[in-house]
Amino acid sequence: MPAVDIPVSQEPADALASVAALRRMADQLEDAAVEQAMRAGWSWPQVAEALGVTRQAVHKKHAKRLIAAGVTLRRR
Amino acid sequence: MTVFHKYVRTILEQGAVEAQRDGSAAIEAHHLLLAIASVEGTDAHRVLVSAGLDRAAIRAALDREFAHSLASAGVSAAAFGLPPASPGPKPAADMGASARLAFERGFKYGAPRSLRPAHVLLGILQAQFGTVPRALALAGVDRDGLAAAVRQELADETA
Repeated sequence: MPAVDIPVSQEPADALASVAALRRMADQLEDAAVEQAMRAGWSWPQVAEALGVTRQAVHKKHAKRLIAAGVTLRRR
Repeated sequence: MTVFHKYVRTILEQGAVEAQRDGSAAIEAHHLLLAIASVEGTDAHRVLVSAGLDRAAIRAALDREFAHSLASAGVSAAAFGLPPASPGPKPAADMGASARLAFERGFKYGAPRSLRPAHVLLGILQAQFGTVPRALALAGVDRDGLAAAVRQELADETA
């Protein structure tokens, strides 16, 4: 497999801005991916295990938003 | 409650809505900047509009900064094909570090009784690092020149 050319900047300001943007991107992706999984009938323990966090953590972070969005949530 | 306190409350409420739209748990400085650009009839709004920075222009600059910073790490926001997440049920309630710094810096520029909306904008423009200065730079905005225009507006008001 050919090496992928990733244009990582050498400038500290660019590198730090990339970290901030990647965190925001990861948060947005987590919201979208958890919602997609729950809409597809995944349970909280399954989503938590896939993310590598506790069930309580994923529930606390996403339950209110998904309930407000009308997603039918499986308890187990 | 003074006119300025009401303005700060309005900016925080509007900033919270901007944060919610962003999927952000906290109000950050760039959400305050979007809020300032959304509330018409203030000195801060006048300076932004005079510089060609209405809400849409600021939103576009922020989106560009996000894409640019991701690209620096070899990531494309468009590469993930997931449908966007539903927004949270309530606007963000907390202020992030960048928003706190913006208020702290802005409040240093005026005596408590003389604070104006432009002081909040000045506080945001003092940041040398972070999302706002990078977005403005990428949009070709002279941040120091914009801050000078805010100071001039404040000087004209008190003259």
